[in-house]
Amino acid sequence: MTKPSPKEAKAMADVAGVPVNDDGATRIAGSIGPAFEGFAPIAGTLPMDLEPASYLVVQTAKVSK
Amino acid sequence: MSSEPALMSLVAVAKAIADKKVSSREVTRSCLHRIAQWQPRLNAFMAIESEQAMAAADEADAALAKGANRGPLHGVPLAHKDMYYEAGKVVTCGSLIRRDFVPRTTSTALQRLKDAGTVRLGSLQMVEFAYGPTGHNVHYGAVHNPWNVDHITGGSSSGSGSAVAARLTFAALGSDTGGSIRMPAHFCGVTGLKTTVGRVSRAGAMPLSQSLDTVGPLAQTVEDCALLLGLMAGADSEDPTASTLPVPDYMEATKGSIKGFRIGVPTAFYVDDLDTEVARILDETIAVLKKEGAEIVQVELPDQRQLTAACQLVLAAEAAAFHKRWMIERPQDYGPQVLMRLQNGLAIPAVSYLEAMRWRGPALAAYLAVVAGTDAVLAPVAPMPAPTIAESDVGNSDGAEAVIQRLTRFTRPVNYLGLPSLSIPTGFSRNGLPVGMQLIGRAFDEATLLQIGAAFQRATDFHARVPELK
Repeated sequence: MTKPSPKEAKAMADVAGVPVNDDGATRIAGSIGPAFEGFAPIAGTLPMDLEPASYLVVQTAKVSK
Repeated sequence: MSSEPALMSLVAVAKAIADKKVSSREVTRSCLHRIAQWQPRLNAFMAIESEQAMAAADEADAALAKGANRGPLHGVPLAHKDMYYEAGKVVTCGSLIRRDFVPRTTSTALQRLKDAGTVRLGSLQMVEFAYGPTGHNVHYGAVHNPWNVDHITGGSSSGSGSAVAARLTFAALGSDTGGSIRMPAHFCGVTGLKTTVGRVSRAGAMPLSQSLDTVGPLAQTVEDCALLLGLMAGADSEDPTASTLPVPDYMEATKGSIKGFRIGVPTAFYVDDLDTEVARILDETIAVLKKEGAEIVQVELPDQRQLTAACQLVLAAEAAAFHKRWMIERPQDYGPQVLMRLQNGLAIPAVSYLEAMRWRGPALAAYLAVVAGTDAVLAPVAPMPAPTIAESDVGNSDGAEAVIQRLTRFTRPVNYLGLPSLSIPTGFSRNGLPVGMQLIGRAFDEATLLQIGAAFQRATDFHARVPELK
């Protein structure tokens, strides 16, 4: 996963239907970039068979101390 | 009983009213007196409903005189974060956009407290749409910290933290999506409980992120939080995400000893880059827990930075989706910081959001495997005591997100995992600002956190200290 460039951020905002100007796109790219970088070790590594709702199963599983 | 009823704890005042040792009128008048004194300094209230509150208090007293006790909070005056819908009342959500919004229904959490007999004092300030960690609000002004009004309260439940600390209300509902209960609790020196996702119904609570939003209380004591949680928790036909798991007796849990409990302290991340004052208080907190019979063990948690990043992706995308219509139609009516943060979510591809959501299960499993031998994990809520309002007023600069990242560094991983976390006052910095620690537990095991927190509060008095009006 790579963080969006200002140009990409602007294009995505346009596609979302909420256009932003060039300065706004640059700021968005700078602000959200660290989240993409932080998640990069996980992105693209999840197995296909991972059930999206597995969180609920884990959350309610009995866990012994 | 205190000569100033507003200084009592929630549990104590509820019992005093039920036992007719003090009337709801006396208690409500005491709160309103303190509100009148403090509000000009704190800006903690969004609306103060003095006449209605006194009338409701008189009704409560009259009912009790006839033997009609409505519930465990009969006649107790409370105020809550201004994002809990109450039919017929303006609920601003701290925003200009909802300045005149009057919902037709009442939120389940609020209704359950009303059913327990509470009296409404008014509503409490908050960060616009609950989307910010400092307590600034460009529309209604910043909320001030009662321990030093030049400092922030933390957000987004800014009014809740400030008002409970100054003893203007016995407790207040907050909400925690990225730390918004625990940070005001930490910065203002009160007790705050972020509940497990699904433990308390979110019906009628303003949404920010459907995967992360939680409802919880801020109050003087752990016992107060236990009482409130017991009243609010449980299944709700209005909210299919509210868990059907049984609701334990949380008040009973607060009575137990913690002798033999194993409490984990992280070896990294939560202990890195701490202000010296916070590091000192963490050590002192550990010493108290040991004295109470707990065993402290070191835990090597999975990489918490990845959890923080995943949390940010989920929160930003979901918040942007909730606000898209207003971002198109009324962008000028948002505060610049809040609009800026909402716009961040526009640049997150659907695949990235869904990946972050899919990882939640494995990430929680990995965390639980590491903490399997412990009852809870102890960690700071934030790496520093409350910064000043001026130094954290980041406007719409590029630096805003960096400030927010540092403030929310220790809270967001817990939100991503959806776990409960109890913030308790654990000390004061040398310049008199409160410092709290969080106890992080297993999903739906708030009872253990309350047991540990109550034991800590029986051994200390940080939660009982009251700021002075200067």
